[in-house]
Amino acid sequence: MTPVRRGNPAWLGHPAILGVAGLAGLLLVIQLLPTLGLVNDRHLPPTSAILAALADELGTGQFWISLKDTLVAWAWGVLIAVGAGVLAGLAIGSVPVLRELTASTVEFLRPIPSVALIPLAVLLYGTEIGSTLLLVCYAAFWQVLVQVLYGVADVDPVAEETARSYRFSAWARVRYVLWPTALPYVFTGVRLAASVALILAITAELVIGSPGLGKDIAVAQASEAVPTMYALIVVTGVLGVLINLLARFGERHLLGWHQSVRGEVIA
Amino acid sequence: MRRRLLAGMVAAALAGTLAACGTSSDSDSGGGESGGVDKVKVGVIPIVDVAPIYLGQKQGFFAKRNIELTMEAGQGGAAIVPGVVSGQFQFGFSNMTSLMIAQTKSVPIKVVSNGVASTGVDGKDFGAVVVKGDSAIKTAADLAGKKISVNTLKNIGDTVTRQSVRKAGGDPSKIEFVEMPFPNMPAALDAGQVDAAWVVEPSLTTIKAAGGREVASTYVDAAPNLTVAAYFASTELIGKNPDLVKRFTEAMNESLAYADSHPEDVRGILADYTKIDEKLRAGLVLPKWPTEINEASVQTLATLGEKDGIFSGTPDLAKLLP
Repeated sequence: MTPVRRGNPAWLGHPAILGVAGLAGLLLVIQLLPTLGLVNDRHLPPTSAILAALADELGTGQFWISLKDTLVAWAWGVLIAVGAGVLAGLAIGSVPVLRELTASTVEFLRPIPSVALIPLAVLLYGTEIGSTLLLVCYAAFWQVLVQVLYGVADVDPVAEETARSYRFSAWARVRYVLWPTALPYVFTGVRLAASVALILAITAELVIGSPGLGKDIAVAQASEAVPTMYALIVVTGVLGVLINLLARFGERHLLGWHQSVRGEVIA
Repeated sequence: MRRRLLAGMVAAALAGTLAACGTSSDSDSGGGESGGVDKVKVGVIPIVDVAPIYLGQKQGFFAKRNIELTMEAGQGGAAIVPGVVSGQFQFGFSNMTSLMIAQTKSVPIKVVSNGVASTGVDGKDFGAVVVKGDSAIKTAADLAGKKISVNTLKNIGDTVTRQSVRKAGGDPSKIEFVEMPFPNMPAALDAGQVDAAWVVEPSLTTIKAAGGREVASTYVDAAPNLTVAAYFASTELIGKNPDLVKRFTEAMNESLAYADSHPEDVRGILADYTKIDEKLRAGLVLPKWPTEINEASVQTLATLGEKDGIFSGTPDLAKLLP
């Protein structure tokens, strides 16, 4: 995991420095806004106060339990959504009848905001992790499914026909023609799902009160602990960045052979 | 390289699975009995009002009656009534108006113990209508025709605020209520999005510390020593396991009495389940925790609520209260 030994890869060099500079600028703005009296520091505390509250939070056991709860819900949600999305996508995508049959249903269900399902989640699972999972899976599933459908549609007809001419079995056609074509789309789907899953995990915890960082944010709000609330929001932001980095890292290494990734690395 | 990474990912996923299994097996047996100890889940809101149940848990009032408590603290409490009815929680905490609304909709629940009550002291209660320090609103009568924020529309907040205005000689029908969560109210008040805010602790002390002014102790205006909220169970549980309900009620009453006579312990326990900072904890106005439900005050709340049209019928208190 330490690419330093191999010298700085391009993605750690220039853009990363710029990225850090951008973040530092944001922190500076948040420090200055309340200090200069442009916003009331009771409603938006300066960066220094937020960081101090963050340091306090890191020292509590509750914080780490909540972090674990959020990550477990996120990981399960992504795992289930990706598994179900890939299987359903390959099945629906490779059978034209199924595709026609489900097209309108998918388009009907996909835009329904996961958050609208909160009453259902609460009825089924109360304030347990199940409620979070329901919301996370629902939101993340469509991201994967739609990408896989595009991926399957992208199969080169010549390659498909060639495989048929050579009497490849159905399984072999999936394995050697369909899957390699769909894989980059699958990874895009996974990356989108990973981000969406985090947002929905935090949202579910925030609104329903299922265990995790979101619930802690809600408790901090209800306790008028404004700096702590922002500190926890910062943590969710950092999680988002880490998850995105992890997804890109995985994509690059598992898909290193593919045109799309090779092109990106060279540039 | 690819293989190893895949294997790593699978291993991580498996580890996650095991961890998740660990958590769910702990909490699966809600309401179940193991070795004579009843595992009980209580749906609460993580606010000052429920300090007694946390204190009682810490003092062992539940453990000595063979009850192992788990608090399920959801925000806003939207999940509590459905959670109790569906059996996710054995008991729940809710304000009286919400309970009466549920009762008029024939939701099968019944109160098992008192929850929290107003201090009954004007200007020194845990809920109030507040305005900005420089507001032109001086008395409750001035609130007529103004924009006031409440945490939930058509609930206890607008009922008691209307009564304060009515009592002061204003026209309660001319108030414009807007819904927003309590934590948003200090900022909304500052920014002038609302003229006044109906708040409870700890937002009340926060607003007052920032220069806000209290214009009406709404719970005090509504009824003397108003019972604000209660603990309840489903009628199914009460019918099926009356012994558990009886032990819970006893433990709850002991907890309420303890909290009422140990305010310092209350301020201490707040650090366990809320994030209210030490300074704010010391300054909070604590509510009263009598063990008896003040039925006359609940009747008044029902009558006022009916007048405002928040019920879809007349609440049947004989069915709701123990």
